[in-house]
Amino acid sequence: MRRLAPAVGPLLLGLALAAACHPAVAGLLGDGGANRPLSLTRLSDLALNHLTLAASGFAFVACLGLGLGLVVTRSRFAALRGGIDTLAAFAQAVPPVVVVALALPILGFGGPPTLLALAAYGIMPALRGTVGALESVSPEAREAARAVGLTPGQVLRQVELPLAASGLIETLRTAFVLAVAVTAVGALAGASTLGTPIVAGLQNQNVVAMFQGTAAAAALAFLGDALLLAAGGLARREAA
Amino acid sequence: MRRRIILGLAGAAVVPTLLVLLPLMHFAPNRLLTGTAIDAPSILGAMLWPLGALAAIGPGLLAGSRGRLAAAIAALACLGAFALLLAGLGHGAAAWTAGQPPAARARLAAGAWIGASLLAAAVPLGARRVDPAAGGPIGALALAASVQGLWLAGRLDALSVVVEFRARRDELAAALLDHLALALGALALAALVTGALALWRRGRGLVDLTVSGLQVVPAVALLGGLVTAASALLSAAPALRTYGLSALGTVPALVGIAAYLLLPLWRGLQGALRAPDAASLDAARALGLTPRQILTGLRLPLGASVLLGGVRVAAVQALGLATLGALVGAGGLGTLVFDGMAQFAPDLILLGALPVIALSLAAERALSGLEAAARRHWPS
Repeated sequence: MRRLAPAVGPLLLGLALAAACHPAVAGLLGDGGANRPLSLTRLSDLALNHLTLAASGFAFVACLGLGLGLVVTRSRFAALRGGIDTLAAFAQAVPPVVVVALALPILGFGGPPTLLALAAYGIMPALRGTVGALESVSPEAREAARAVGLTPGQVLRQVELPLAASGLIETLRTAFVLAVAVTAVGALAGASTLGTPIVAGLQNQNVVAMFQGTAAAAALAFLGDALLLAAGGLARREAA
Repeated sequence: MRRRIILGLAGAAVVPTLLVLLPLMHFAPNRLLTGTAIDAPSILGAMLWPLGALAAIGPGLLAGSRGRLAAAIAALACLGAFALLLAGLGHGAAAWTAGQPPAARARLAAGAWIGASLLAAAVPLGARRVDPAAGGPIGALALAASVQGLWLAGRLDALSVVVEFRARRDELAAALLDHLALALGALALAALVTGALALWRRGRGLVDLTVSGLQVVPAVALLGGLVTAASALLSAAPALRTYGLSALGTVPALVGIAAYLLLPLWRGLQGALRAPDAASLDAARALGLTPRQILTGLRLPLGASVLLGGVRVAAVQALGLATLGALVGAGGLGTLVFDGMAQFAPDLILLGALPVIALSLAAERALSGLEAAARRHWPS
């Protein structure tokens, strides 16, 4: 139970934010004028869409980031490291809005440019985090494992990954929060996400809808964070 | 040895394959249409084979060999291929638009962008293998010089981005200045706030939580929230208007962007202050240094590279986030990007986006160079 304790804070915060974006609660912010709260069905549709997009982007980034991180930390592929680092730094220097805008004429409106932005912007943090976590494994532990006769694959599975687990979970948490935030930007390319009521609210002064979009996006980020923290806690118990 | 050869052959195949498989150019009757795709042979003509050879030799050598001479040859081949590709594209565009109505556009397509970026990225990579310190900047300078030369010779004039640029030159210059002012202003504001927050010792945990919590709020929402808050404030106290405060424009954009920069700057500053180990701090205290002397003589020099790392991340983020400033009427390069998105005009989007990318990359390279210099100068 104690392993799950760190997840309680984000979980409660996420639930509170989710409750705050319910139309009955958010409507308290102000009524009349342009302030019209979104209905619950519309909001849950948007949230589901947002979560699907963010989760697919996150899954892609996590696989690619972890995979590339594993590859470049193998001594055999050390030569690739510089090139992959440069490429990832380049991808990070291009802001998500610009990726979305550039992809618009090629990929059209909606989901695809958003997914591209998710992938481009998420790779570097995921890659750097993975490399950092794997490099934090002490060389002595690695040497000892090799000395008792483990194969490189066994060293990776039984020594490096368990020892780097907390760092890897950290990396996944950052990547998830980033994915949720970038998906909101996708609304500018016409993807229907929780960014849609925010952008529309900006244009027609609908503060309540803007607040609902913001709170719901933050709730998703915190709930996902709680889930990953819990998973990390469970993983650590298994390793210990 | 066999692995080297396989790697080299794979590297050699990449760019020529891309140039053949992907369309190099779209030819459209006006600036809003996508137009028809045109393949490499009909654009490059006689330049196709020398370009293909250089684009195979350069990356192939870079992937397959480790020597300095090979790296130098590879960098030169990539530079030549890059310049030849641009010249060929400009020439092809001129040939296709000749005799067409002035609204016709020859627009670079995916193959040209990806091929040119790969070749351009390979030049500093090879140059750095020849000379680790000076190679990168020299490679970048050589690339810039080749673009500048082609530009001055008028070889690129027929490309649609250049046509769009000539039509909006003044607008672009103004947007660029606004963008820089917005990003630097936000960076300065965030640095001031971070410095002030660092003085509040007891609130460190709270600041940590707030600053990282802010990152969860999407940027679009934060800007919108600030506009609403500012307009509520102004309607409650109209006297503020006389001080030049307004709900839309630069102020909310500056505050919003600065809010996101707090996290990298705060982490950088905290990391820098913790950089010296306990033994060095004890030694400094035993020598009778005052806390101020410890700060300027020990913590800041030892933490300089960590602090600069934070500034680098913040600067790159500021240049990117300033694009969103256009949403709240603060100007900047985002104006061109969003206008282009609204009109569905790819060249206008590019005209706004290319400078943003160039600025971010330049800031990233320059500040990481400074970071490395600080690490060399004050090794911890």
